[in-house]
Amino acid sequence: MIDFIQVAVSGILLGGVYALLSVGLTLIFGVVRIINFAHGELLMIGMYLSYLLFASIGLNPYLSVFLVAPALFAIGVIVQRLVIQPIQEASAMMKVFVTCGLFIVLQNLALMIFRGDYRTIQMDISMAALNFSGISVSLPRLLAFAAAVLIFGGLYLLLKYTFIGKALRAVAESRPMAQLMGIRVQRVNMLAFGLGAALTGIAGAFLLPFTSVYPTIGSIYTLVAFVVVVLGGLGNMVGAFLGGLCIGLIESFSGTYISPALKEATYFVIFILILLVRPQGLFGMGKGTEEVGLK
Amino acid sequence: MKKLFIMVILASLLVPGGFMGKGDSRAAEKLRVGVIYPISGPMALLGEESFRGAEISRVMRNNKGGVAGKQIEYVFADIPDVNAAKSETERLLSQGKVKIMTGAYSSSLGLAASEVTCRKNLIYFSVEGIADQFVERGYKTIFATDPRAKLFSAAQVKFMQQWLAPQLNMKANELRVSFIHEDSAYGSSVARNFEKAAKAGNVKLVSVIPYSPKAVDLSSVILNLRKDKPDVVVAVSYAADAVLLGRQSKELGLDIKAFIGNGGGHSLTSFQEALGPTTEGILNVDFTQFEVNYEFCPGLKEFVATYKQMYNKPPLSGHSTCSFVGMNALFDILEKTKGDMDPKVFRPAALAHELPPGKSANGWGVKFNEHGENIWADPFMMQWRDGKLVTVWPKGPAVMEPKLIKPFSK
Repeated sequence: MIDFIQVAVSGILLGGVYALLSVGLTLIFGVVRIINFAHGELLMIGMYLSYLLFASIGLNPYLSVFLVAPALFAIGVIVQRLVIQPIQEASAMMKVFVTCGLFIVLQNLALMIFRGDYRTIQMDISMAALNFSGISVSLPRLLAFAAAVLIFGGLYLLLKYTFIGKALRAVAESRPMAQLMGIRVQRVNMLAFGLGAALTGIAGAFLLPFTSVYPTIGSIYTLVAFVVVVLGGLGNMVGAFLGGLCIGLIESFSGTYISPALKEATYFVIFILILLVRPQGLFGMGKGTEEVGLK
Repeated sequence: MKKLFIMVILASLLVPGGFMGKGDSRAAEKLRVGVIYPISGPMALLGEESFRGAEISRVMRNNKGGVAGKQIEYVFADIPDVNAAKSETERLLSQGKVKIMTGAYSSSLGLAASEVTCRKNLIYFSVEGIADQFVERGYKTIFATDPRAKLFSAAQVKFMQQWLAPQLNMKANELRVSFIHEDSAYGSSVARNFEKAAKAGNVKLVSVIPYSPKAVDLSSVILNLRKDKPDVVVAVSYAADAVLLGRQSKELGLDIKAFIGNGGGHSLTSFQEALGPTTEGILNVDFTQFEVNYEFCPGLKEFVATYKQMYNKPPLSGHSTCSFVGMNALFDILEKTKGDMDPKVFRPAALAHELPPGKSANGWGVKFNEHGENIWADPFMMQWRDGKLVTVWPKGPAVMEPKLIKPFSK
């Protein structure tokens, strides 16, 4: 029984990690509908920034978040202005190609600068775990989980109740109409991309204490993030968070009770099955909404 | 007078063969050896490290007069991937007028390059690349100086029988062993070797657990281990997953008596840096590193000194020594053939060549069997002690006795 609870706890914590690393994509892809294949690379940049701050001046990643997030915001705005905006009106396919190109450029730049080494930081908290009568809860993962809950909650409130949030949603639904209503579409898009990148940077800083960073780490995370966002239902904050938890739990249970080698295969099979039945995702806003803004 | 002197020097530099006439005739007699390593791309870090070992061997030998009175010249090609390994080998052999090939750090690269070389019935002298397939393809022109992959597993089983089981007051066949490995070709092939070695050594293998080295979470591996209750865990990991396994073993309180790595991630200083004192007592089988009995490794001091002199820092890993020792063996054999690289002359000379263990810079001996496999090269058991990877077994190269320390407990 203890093992079963431990598997569930590990799964939920992993789910929190997955939710956290896809939070930026939920905004960029889920709400504003820019397909961003360079998402994992933004995460990688966030992790490297936070690593460099730790390695050079010993700044704790939980503090360097306050430097990394603004830096990533700036990067996001620049990417949107220079790379995405010129092709804003082009087909979704075009954006896929461009962001794929961006992903390759960023990954290779990182390889050139940092070489292929794996970098990890050692902090007291890296291996700290809380123990509840035999159930172990990893502290850095718990913090990542808490960060995910806070960010998703904040984003939910922002989108629902603020003017900016309404503008973001309006742009996602119909760009020309939003423009006619006096919303500055380009500025909103820049803000969305910047915000998405900043949240991804926060995720990177929270991941660093218990994972390694290396130039090709982004491609692994991009895939997971897309699965989480699509599974939860595009544009649905609660959905994306629960989507992350689902994947984490499936991975943890199939890894322990089937085989660690099959855990990814298992969650992809379940992912495909769910999409066959509900193309809009688990918590999507109704049939057909998955294509809003993409066609 | 001063002006005249300068003019004479300038003139002598301009006139080809002026004062340097001798150099030209010596250049014509150079011994050309084809050398391939990946010094760009994802394998560049250790590929370059290995190449440095080969380069030091050449420089030291040339300073002592070269081989059979000739200076050695490397005809070098960078091989970042398997396709490059094939095409560059083809190019060196046809256009570079090279009659012998060496390299290549990575097994996959070396296998591709040796396939090209051996099909032309020329010698491929593998100084680095541990895959068993090198010597299992039936070629008569291949020789490999580093230990085969199967010897890593054999060393682990032998260590359990001879040292670990007695320490635990158990019989070797009572030891419960779990094997965990990353699921790429590398990890899987080591797993197959270990299964064979465990069977031959009558060690109880209770589980074999593959996992993806890219995983963000490996708690399922640890939870499986908790279920299987092994005494010993043997692992094959890359860099990031070795660290992740260590961290999660500690978090989840994995209760085992010994943990043995297979080089790879468990040898890296980054492993120690990431886990700190938690690495204390972790065992690891690998190529000879630098915390080793120098009397068992004559020439290692000189090698390290030359490395520091040429590259302004100490060697990064035992890969450089591995290539260094392999190249030395090649030059020793070429000395005997008087520089002849024809397989008809080279093969008998190589088969007759003998260097007992404990006589080279990393303690390996050289004796080839008819498949071209070096049967006197063995990987050694090391242990992380006070932040250093120290050689502890067998007695010859060891600098310390191995010590039973509960893994991931600190």
